[in-house]
Amino acid sequence: MSKLVGQRMKRKEDPKLITGNATYLDDLKIPNLLHAYILRSPHPHANIKSIHKDKALAHPGVVAVYTGKDLEGKINPVPTSWKVPGMNLIETAQYPLAIDTARYVGDGVAMVIASDRYAAEDAAELVEVEYEVLPSISNQKEARKEGAPQIYDEVPNNTAFTYIAGEVTDADIDGAEVVIRGNYSTQRVAPSPMETRNSLAQYNPGNGELKLYVGSQNPHIHRMVLSEVLDFPEHRLQVKVADMGGGFGGKIGVYPDEALVSYAAIDLKRPVKWVETRNEHFQSANAGRDMMVDVELAGTKDGKITAIRVVNHANIGAYLATFGPGNPTIDFGLMVSGPYKIPKAQVTTYGMYTNTMSVDSYRGAGKPEVTFMLERAVSDFAKEIGMDPVEVRKLNFAQKEEFPFTNAQGLVYDSGDYDKALDRAVEIADYEKLRQEQKMALGEGRYIGIGISSYVELSGFGPSAVAGGIGFQGGIWENSTVRVHPTGKVTVFTGTSPHGQGHDTTFTQIVADKLGIPYEDINFVFNDTKAVSMGWGTYGSRSLAVGGNAVALSTDKVIEKGRIVAAHLLQSEVENVAFEKGVYFVKSDPTMRKTFQEIAKAANFAWDMPEGIEPGLEEKTFFDPSNFTYPFGTHIVVVEVDPETGHVEILRYISVDDSGKIVNPLVAEGQILGAVAQGVGQALWEEIKYDEKGQLQTGSFMDYTMPKARFFPKIEMDFTETLSPVNQLGSKGVAESGVTGSIAATANAVMDALAPFNVENISIPLTPEKVWRAIQKGEGKQ
Amino acid sequence: MDIKHTHKFKALSAQQVWDTIQNPEVLKAVLPGCKTFDEVGDEQYKAVLGINMGPIKGEFTADVEQVDKNEPTSYRLLVKASGKPGEIDANALMELEEVDGNTELTCTADVAATGLMATIGQRMIGGVAKVVLKQFFKDIEKKAKQ
Amino acid sequence: MSNLVNVTVTINGEERSAEVEPRMLLVHFIRDVLGITGSHIGCDTSQCGNCTILVDGRAAKSCTLLAVHVDGSELITVEGLGTVENLHPVQRGFWEEHGLQCGYCTPGAMIASIELLAQNPTPTDEEIREGLEGVICRCTGYEFIVNAVRRASEIMREENAVKGVK
Repeated sequence: MSKLVGQRMKRKEDPKLITGNATYLDDLKIPNLLHAYILRSPHPHANIKSIHKDKALAHPGVVAVYTGKDLEGKINPVPTSWKVPGMNLIETAQYPLAIDTARYVGDGVAMVIASDRYAAEDAAELVEVEYEVLPSISNQKEARKEGAPQIYDEVPNNTAFTYIAGEVTDADIDGAEVVIRGNYSTQRVAPSPMETRNSLAQYNPGNGELKLYVGSQNPHIHRMVLSEVLDFPEHRLQVKVADMGGGFGGKIGVYPDEALVSYAAIDLKRPVKWVETRNEHFQSANAGRDMMVDVELAGTKDGKITAIRVVNHANIGAYLATFGPGNPTIDFGLMVSGPYKIPKAQVTTYGMYTNTMSVDSYRGAGKPEVTFMLERAVSDFAKEIGMDPVEVRKLNFAQKEEFPFTNAQGLVYDSGDYDKALDRAVEIADYEKLRQEQKMALGEGRYIGIGISSYVELSGFGPSAVAGGIGFQGGIWENSTVRVHPTGKVTVFTGTSPHGQGHDTTFTQIVADKLGIPYEDINFVFNDTKAVSMGWGTYGSRSLAVGGNAVALSTDKVIEKGRIVAAHLLQSEVENVAFEKGVYFVKSDPTMRKTFQEIAKAANFAWDMPEGIEPGLEEKTFFDPSNFTYPFGTHIVVVEVDPETGHVEILRYISVDDSGKIVNPLVAEGQILGAVAQGVGQALWEEIKYDEKGQLQTGSFMDYTMPKARFFPKIEMDFTETLSPVNQLGSKGVAESGVTGSIAATANAVMDALAPFNVENISIPLTPEKVWRAIQKGEGKQ
Repeated sequence: MDIKHTHKFKALSAQQVWDTIQNPEVLKAVLPGCKTFDEVGDEQYKAVLGINMGPIKGEFTADVEQVDKNEPTSYRLLVKASGKPGEIDANALMELEEVDGNTELTCTADVAATGLMATIGQRMIGGVAKVVLKQFFKDIEKKAKQ
Repeated sequence: MSNLVNVTVTINGEERSAEVEPRMLLVHFIRDVLGITGSHIGCDTSQCGNCTILVDGRAAKSCTLLAVHVDGSELITVEGLGTVENLHPVQRGFWEEHGLQCGYCTPGAMIASIELLAQNPTPTDEEIREGLEGVICRCTGYEFIVNAVRRASEIMREENAVKGVK
């Protein structure tokens, strides 16, 4: 029936992006523009004794210098937006500029505004800040111990929250035939969109309107939160997102920086721009992961998993980020049993303040971490009982006829066929043969490892009642408006906020199919709070599953209103009028017809409307889905480890993912590929490092290993399709699957390759140095 | 970050090395990128040093203090330097020991850095410091033999 | 300021001239002074290659040069590669093979690809991956960029025409 949905359409977005016609925030040409530079604390923890700004103010081109004291009482603290109930959350005040105390390397202490970026940076050097350095700490487990440096007087043992979900008793663990105990932690990494964060604020004193361009994945959340931070009326605050160079969770957060730039623009009545440097990004953009996870997994000798108990020390940084408290609790804690029928599960998460940058969502946000833990533990369990890791997984999977399936923590998975995806991955990999080749290679002194990871993901946030229950400070429905112009061309407004995901293309495929009008006749508007009434943004793989379905529903409403108009004009009854391929016609006499364009004109002109029907052809939907969607899949990785150097070479990478109905396979594959690279990066190379006191040591791409093209083989990719029952399209999220599946699969492969050396568990990233050391420490070369 | 480096001063007594390394004029001549080196108090000096190390370039103003002097076998050097690239706080124990007619000077330092220095290329610092120290002691050795 | 220096370049076929501070980076000159903003800045240590342009026919990261270095040079940025109506083979390759998502690294990645194909018009996938060493992309995982470059190579052979590279 559909023509475009399911096709590998080239993207509509691209002609602009490949010809240099895109406009990213720093490309905007704004007259009379001022530039902001934010001076940041070089110390992890220090009292600010004094700040002298005279020399900076005297620097040519400098217009203003602000300190935390200057702004005291004028800007409110930046709050978190995820206040999970029942965990004694202690939220501390994050002032846009530190007033008395700086609490991480990168905490803003002053802002210089000047006529150009060079002058602002030069002048910032002249701001004299006298610090009193205080004891500090970066490690979240250490931070919880008695005697650790205290970051806030009001937060005993630096513990921001203690979250407990489920219950597993000592008897459940100690009484089991087999118990796997291990630490499977996920290190701190940087989301690292290629475009760093930025903002540009313009204030019009004439009408009191503030227009803020900001690198944001959720402009409406930015508007709502900033209106409170700035005490600025929400209806006069317009938040726009220019073309944006990636987000990956790093641009969900509402940061102090955009509040500062907004304040300066209002105060100075001139436009102000701030663009983060990469070094600054490593200091002051929300990091991802950083969960120290200890697990006890209990099971039987014949492979049944009976209980899992987890303690997660989550580093949340010096301040609570926008979604910070939710990721290591809700997203991590409720998914702890993964795709398995584990009868009992418990998660205890300690949210720990440390003298480091805040931790917020990074692609997957909680699910990659919990999946890594579970899939490493399950593979170790298989090894312990001498069972193949594929077999153990199949033995414990929820079965397809059991859906909707309720997991150990009470979440109801919408649909799934876990065996199917795993079987397909095993088939592509030719698993049995691989295992034989592995044995043969070992005979030749080559260390091949095969890693497997199965996952289930929680995506497509909704319904909003659940948001309320978990303390998410907002709704998680999505909005769309489909506006039909008099000529029959269509503009669609959505509350999702694409920045590389290709919504323009995939959503157009949906609308074009429904309306039967040319693909070119449909345009999208997003990323502008003035144009789009409301929306909750793009994260959590929700855009298609929630936003795309909102678009589909509005389009359906347009068709129905058009049918009423058509029936009237065709002098027929509504139920007798059909709509196909862009034409309304009387079922009994298809020659009695009106094109969609004719109806668009008729409805907009309204010369002859049916009684009681308003003019115009425009429909709006607020789609609040009945449940999350749960994508799933299995990844298999083959690596070779060089015992001389510790180098890990990826020989093969097989991914089989199920995201329900796929609208555009090309775009979906792109999402998997990008996410796999990030997950493998986490497993093997990437890490933000602080020293024990909180001094940042990875402030550039020289110090932080970003994956490069030559690090990867071609990915062998396939999808299975298990429709979601919770939305019209049957779609699930796709963007986070690749990262959730890849981390453990890669790490399991390396550990499998190292099995002959009897190495202990190695923490990720599995860098050559760590692998080499583990081999030396193990039983040595054979 | 801990840095340890030993230099062997051939055919020099500990006293000869001590006298050279304690001479502000010598230090001014051999300290890398040293622009000024002034005595500001008892065993206290103020220096301006130019540092050029990969991505880290800039001028540092350093307060240098010598404590726990135990002529000619050991002393402790406290350096606090700040510049655009960040701040350095170093505490170095300098130990001189005569071995077979030579003098071995061992520098054991605990160095803390902040700012750009710390966030970019910190893992190079150890290596670079060794190169700089090696050159520094070689130059001291030359001066001592003059 | 008195210490300004005149820099004259031909950029995308047009001669442009400006007085700049000697310390000004070429990428800032192109973006901020000339207002040609297709080349992007993704780092501050010359790793990402998002600012790669052609300087006298050879790919260069424009953050590694000062504006004064290129006085008298011919520069080509993404804006000078091809138009929407008449795309350069590399642009077509990136579009057809979904070699971009957010598009931020893409101008630099495409110019690096032009250099790669100028050096080796029929690269293997492995050679393409090696040739993309100077490019960091966070969205694509590179595979579709590899496909894009391979596709561009095919188109170039079909068209036997390479624009932008001398």
